[in-house]
Amino acid sequence: MLRYAIKRIGYAVVTLFIVVTVTFFLMRSIPGDPLSHMARALPEQTRANYYAKYGLDKPLFTQYLMYMKNLLRGDLGESVLYPGRSVSETIAKTSPISGLVGGIALAIGFVIGITLGIIAALNKNRWPDYLVMFVAILGTTIPVFVFASLLQYFVSVKLGWLPPSGWGQPRHLVLPIIVLSFGPVASFARYLKSSMLDTLSQDYILTAQAKGLSQRDVILRHALRNSMLPIVTILAGRIVGVFTGAFVVERMFGVPGIGFYYISSINNNDYTMILGTTVFYAALFVIAQLVVDFVYMLVDPRIRIVPESR
Amino acid sequence: MSSKWSTKRLFVLFLTFTMVLSVFAGCTPQGKDTGKTAELDAEQYINTYLVADPTTLDPSLRSDSYSSSILVNTLEGLVRMEERNGEYYLNRGDAERWESNEDGTVWTFYLGDNKWEDGVPVTADQYVYSLRRSSAPETGSPNSYFLAPIKNFEAVNKGELDVTELGVRAIDEKTLEITLSEPVPSFLSMIDTTVYYPQRQDKVEEWGEKYGSEAQYTISNGPFKVASWTHNSSIVLVKNDQYWDAENVKLEKVTYYIMPDETTYYNAFEAGEIDFVGTGKTEWLERFKSREDTVYNSYTSATITYSFFNTEDELFKNANIRKAFMLAIDREDINEVCFSGLRVPTYGWVVPTISVGDRNYREAAGDMVKEMLEELKQNGQTPKDLLLKGMEELGLGNDPSKLKVTFSLAGTDEWFRNLGEYLQQVYKRELGVNLEISFAEWGIFYDNVTKGNYQIGFMGWGAYYNDPYDVLSLFVSDYDAIETGWKNAQYDELIRRASTEMDEDKRLQLYIDAETILIKDEAVVSPLATSRVNQFVRDYVHGYSTLGFSNMGFKYVYTVGRP
Repeated sequence: MLRYAIKRIGYAVVTLFIVVTVTFFLMRSIPGDPLSHMARALPEQTRANYYAKYGLDKPLFTQYLMYMKNLLRGDLGESVLYPGRSVSETIAKTSPISGLVGGIALAIGFVIGITLGIIAALNKNRWPDYLVMFVAILGTTIPVFVFASLLQYFVSVKLGWLPPSGWGQPRHLVLPIIVLSFGPVASFARYLKSSMLDTLSQDYILTAQAKGLSQRDVILRHALRNSMLPIVTILAGRIVGVFTGAFVVERMFGVPGIGFYYISSINNNDYTMILGTTVFYAALFVIAQLVVDFVYMLVDPRIRIVPESR
Repeated sequence: MSSKWSTKRLFVLFLTFTMVLSVFAGCTPQGKDTGKTAELDAEQYINTYLVADPTTLDPSLRSDSYSSSILVNTLEGLVRMEERNGEYYLNRGDAERWESNEDGTVWTFYLGDNKWEDGVPVTADQYVYSLRRSSAPETGSPNSYFLAPIKNFEAVNKGELDVTELGVRAIDEKTLEITLSEPVPSFLSMIDTTVYYPQRQDKVEEWGEKYGSEAQYTISNGPFKVASWTHNSSIVLVKNDQYWDAENVKLEKVTYYIMPDETTYYNAFEAGEIDFVGTGKTEWLERFKSREDTVYNSYTSATITYSFFNTEDELFKNANIRKAFMLAIDREDINEVCFSGLRVPTYGWVVPTISVGDRNYREAAGDMVKEMLEELKQNGQTPKDLLLKGMEELGLGNDPSKLKVTFSLAGTDEWFRNLGEYLQQVYKRELGVNLEISFAEWGIFYDNVTKGNYQIGFMGWGAYYNDPYDVLSLFVSDYDAIETGWKNAQYDELIRRASTEMDEDKRLQLYIDAETILIKDEAVVSPLATSRVNQFVRDYVHGYSTLGFSNMGFKYVYTVGRP
């Protein structure tokens, strides 16, 4: 078990190394530079001084080695576009905000989605099923920005209940959370429904029913637990996604989260920020994968045996 | 077809909002004052927005327009361009008065008694420090080229001379002297830019690279100071009581929400969360115009939309071919079809808002493209004749449909697709040319343009200050900011002479002569339209300016009757 764990962590480190290296060179092959947002032909000397300041005048491979050296010391550098903003501080400050908004939305979406999934599965091909699936299709097909602007328009402009955008008070959380929980509701409901239907047709459900367990016990203790397996896989990805923010929602509602930096750093050639956010995302993802494997062992007895066998 | 300069089009967005925001930043005691000062609201505050988080509030390192919208409010420079009775008025800033020697190369500024927010007096030394810091190569300032007129700037910026050799010194605590390498007629408008603001050496050194990156790492000597800054969410400014002219500052608080999304700020304006909004979309224009509690201000900006030719290209090295492509476009028509009729058709490179002294440049210089067309018509010719003439000169036969011409656009969305189709149709109809369109994202487009890997391009450019030099100097051979590869010694000479000519009439004539070469003789660039700013302000807001180059922040803004 320990050897297995060490091996897995080793793989994780190699994966991260590859991700950083590939990102570094891919990113530098994008045309433009951090000054191109100025949309001005700057004098040669201005450009040269700027490059020199950020070490961008050195050979690319030298820059790569410098970056790796700093990375090993845990230093992600300073943003090239936002002077004075350290990349690690920015991540540390913004990802919890994304985590808060996204986490609440995910929790709400999870609970509602699972409930709706169960209702749909137990009422297959009857109206509650159709209704749930209708909501689920809406949730996956309506673009986030459409839903968000509709909410802004009706709730803020027409009804005047909540501010359309902003940060700092609990009321600012409501709209982004509603928008962000819509997607999870939809996908959890759909996944759980199909997985539940699959589970309900298994022999052990028949056994449980034959043992004389109440319908409630059969569903909650046997069917639901086994139906959760595919959900755990999606959930892990979603939890990682929570800390990397939601670009569109954050930008529309003025949430100072990390989502902005993922997209804007690429658009603006903010090299250190691109790498920092990528490293952060990759690390979270790799860790989440480890955790998922571990959780699988806890949830599913069939998986539990595998790593132990030699 | 909707004219949608949306957030994706980084460059025009940037340039457009330079204008929009400089308007939000422009306010005046006399400009739009309706004289109702008696019933000032008890709580004086303004809510507005920026479409992006400022990069930094460090005047040496900022590189975007958003930071300058904040800095004009929090820092005081030597002078301030204001609006008085609808006209530009150069007011004092830190400098109570100033003078120059006879040939305009040595400027002396006498500072008043302004203080920083912590009570420390503003001194000439702080100006010297700031200008030296921005010039020093290791600072890597993206705006340092604004300091180019100062003596020894280039050598200092290259690292060849020590910063102490820069032509700026403090004669005493309150007297600043700036020496220029040659006379610069527009020098006083130039020093009203952020890179000429003073900086506190003690604070810059104490805070190091953090300087300007957070609210607690800023210090102000202007009408307002930064109270808080939540990146990508909001910036709050509050009145700075130490400011020399604090008694004329009525607002206690200015909140900027960072709203990158169009629908968000439209909804926020409708919900009463912000007091100003700008739009370039017809449907929103109509909607906001129908509001009774809103004042609509519409005026020409300093941002031009144009196409430009690669004069090193096999085909476009020929001036007649360039002229044909320039004259084949009907500027009224492209404005209606592609820009929703929201811009001003433009017939010269210098936009209609720029003046030389008191004289509007465009009125003096005339509509050059129009004149060319009329001349052509009088000779019974069409743009196609010019094209054929050019083809003959190049030995390319007489069949325009065989020419291979690619028009490069910096965008890939529907708006650009429509523009591409429009250009194809027009050039097919007018010149018989089968145009190809290349669509690319801004970064790729600009990379191709700088490498000379294009034939015709399409772009926008915003003027920084109110003198034709700002835009005409872009074509000087060794600057070539528009990347046309065009070199013309006579043009260079005219611009050089104009840049040091203190007599306004003579200077105006030099600029006209230069623009005549650029447009009429050589057709290096094809001006199309100038953007308009469409701004809506809630009717309880007073004391703001609608002059694009005024630079007064929210200094004189106040509200009467805010619900």
